[in-house]
Amino acid sequence: MSILIIQILNSLFYASVLFLIAAGLSLIFGVMRIVNMAHGTFFAVGAFATAWLVARAVALGLPAGWTFLLIPVGAGAVALLGIVIEPLLRPFYRRAEEYQLLVTFGLLLILEDVIRVVWGGLPLSADPLMDALPIIRIGGLIYPAYNLVVIAVGAVAALLLWAGIYRTKFGVMLRATSQDRRMASALGLNVGLVYVSAFAIGCFMAGLGGAIVVPTQAAVLGMGIDALILAFVVVVIGGLGSLQGALVGALIVSFVRTAGIQFFPEIELAVLYLIAVVVLLVKPTGLFGSA
Amino acid sequence: MDNPTTVDRRKFLGAIGVTVGGTGLAGAGLVAAPQLVKAAAEPPKGKIPDTPYKTGHMTFLTGPAAVLGEPSLKGHTLAAEEINAQGGFLGKRKIETITADEAAGTDANVKELRRMKLEGKIDLFTGVISSGNTPALGPVAEEMSLLTMFVDGCTDFLFDKAVPQPKYTFRLTNIQSSDGITAAIGTAQAWPQTRKIAHLHPDYSYGRNAAEHFTLAIERLLPGTQVVSESWPKLGTTDFTSHITKILSSEPDLLFTSVWGGDYVAWYKQALRYGLFDKMKVATTLAFGVAPHALGKDHPEGVLAGVHANYHFTYPGGDRWPVNKAFVQRYFKRWNEYPNFQSEGSYVTLYMLKMAIERANKLIGGWPDDEAIIGQLEGLGFDAPSGYLYIRPDNHQGYKDAVTGFSKNNAEYPFPTWDPNRIITIPIRNITAPANWPKPGNGHNESTAAADWIKKTWPKAMG
Repeated sequence: MSILIIQILNSLFYASVLFLIAAGLSLIFGVMRIVNMAHGTFFAVGAFATAWLVARAVALGLPAGWTFLLIPVGAGAVALLGIVIEPLLRPFYRRAEEYQLLVTFGLLLILEDVIRVVWGGLPLSADPLMDALPIIRIGGLIYPAYNLVVIAVGAVAALLLWAGIYRTKFGVMLRATSQDRRMASALGLNVGLVYVSAFAIGCFMAGLGGAIVVPTQAAVLGMGIDALILAFVVVVIGGLGSLQGALVGALIVSFVRTAGIQFFPEIELAVLYLIAVVVLLVKPTGLFGSA
Repeated sequence: MDNPTTVDRRKFLGAIGVTVGGTGLAGAGLVAAPQLVKAAAEPPKGKIPDTPYKTGHMTFLTGPAAVLGEPSLKGHTLAAEEINAQGGFLGKRKIETITADEAAGTDANVKELRRMKLEGKIDLFTGVISSGNTPALGPVAEEMSLLTMFVDGCTDFLFDKAVPQPKYTFRLTNIQSSDGITAAIGTAQAWPQTRKIAHLHPDYSYGRNAAEHFTLAIERLLPGTQVVSESWPKLGTTDFTSHITKILSSEPDLLFTSVWGGDYVAWYKQALRYGLFDKMKVATTLAFGVAPHALGKDHPEGVLAGVHANYHFTYPGGDRWPVNKAFVQRYFKRWNEYPNFQSEGSYVTLYMLKMAIERANKLIGGWPDDEAIIGQLEGLGFDAPSGYLYIRPDNHQGYKDAVTGFSKNNAEYPFPTWDPNRIITIPIRNITAPANWPKPGNGHNESTAAADWIKKTWPKAMG
């Protein structure tokens, strides 16, 4: 029984991180119609930046509890990076998808090398955050309370994003731009500002994913590429450009993955792609996607 | 053999030659260990050109495997600098190095090898870490008649199947099957009460090989054990929470894992928080394979911390093996960090080549051609930092005594190292198939010659 509870928590934990990555990917696609291959690497930058900041802060004597404030700082740094990069990508929004994929893949390679140059090849960790919170007993097993924080952050981020898009004036502008950018521009919307804001929010989400996950594991080179592949599976299942799709897709992927690990270890790798194939055959736009 | 004979376990481990403690290397080699780094005693014979000797070093410069790749290039660079300081090979030919990132993928790596040979005009191809790459690169090196000394990429498949009769291709690190077998012997030696075993391996050739050979050996060393859990995460996975919970749910006595590199670092940090190390023993093939400083002091003690059955810089320790002491000191001085087994492998590769070139020069004079160098490399044996290294002529594979140990936080180092009193050494000939043992497809269809050899010759231990 305690195994079941912990596996459910593990799945929610994983879904939370996946959602943060996939929602940003989807948001950016929804507004700018660009598939950003470098998105997973923004996640990695968030992880490396946060781990580095935490190590600095602890070295300077900041108490472990305060290091939690560095999570939004790490995510914010990624948003700033996004603000710098978005204008550079803008000329490609109207080009064919092949160009967009090539350019953003080039960006991925550049950012991967930037990470290596800035932070070196060694894994970075942010253990003090993890250790600042207690370990919970569940039956005969233990579970780190920090992982519950990650689940909560994912849930709150989903709510805030939903409220921001469907309940605010800025959200109306976002949706208007995504539906018809020329009309939105003709009506006096500053489309450039909408683009840069959407890109920054998407990057912030990915950076937040990296920032909250790094204390539980470590920031390692290549983590962004693994994340990107999984985020793609999520949006293929949920539908690219849909927020609900990202949420449902993330939940499906992580629960199925956990079930695969627990019961069918030999096909752990294949099972996610199998779901994606089934969804593509039955509903090619994804569960919540529109053509 | 379906019904292996049985034998007492303690005698069995004794027959294999398992040694625990710091005493594995007593013997003739110790008395007069020559310094690797010394100029040739006499000047080279004949006229030597002073054109540079070009090497191509391919290793992981990006991605999670860079924690092994960077040390590989650093070992190579250190050896090249030392040899160049003496004027280069035969005092004349300075070593020049071009590098390539192995993370580009197998197909791109094969193209890069061709480009290095055709455009870069390299004389030697070296490096390579992944077992997925050497079987693709080896045949191309043979086809192009390019002298190739793989540092790692140690799959049995390379010389069992991909290049069954190597001419230009050599490999230094111990063959892969010996890795899983070494972990099994360490397990049987330290924890003979083990009954229930969980497995966690990256889902590709290396993880499969480690699991298979560990299981084959443990079935004979500890009959009656059973596999209670299996996990096959993708290489590059960093979230292991579900795997860890699954392993805990099967309540094993022992977890055997071949997860490595950045993946291992992410894994042990999660396993720590889930209390895995309190509930079971853990045996690994590569926990200490990464650059030593990649692991934190939070790494638990008492883990069988494998080094690919090759080398850890603390062993042979102290003054007992001057070659190692000198290597570690020079490496630290140059890079301000300690070497891993890839550093040692790359470093030794260039010195081994230097030795072969000097011997060939002595025989024939002038700059020896590749044929003459290969003739000297085959059967070459010498004292490396890791111990005595021997290149077997039949398969061009390097053999040195396998070694593993138990993690411990010694105050001297800012990262975990081995417990100096519990280091396990095993003579390599006792855990690898002998020369000319039939290769897969010749009278048997096991995955490796080693697997067939174990099945046909190892008895079962009792008691």
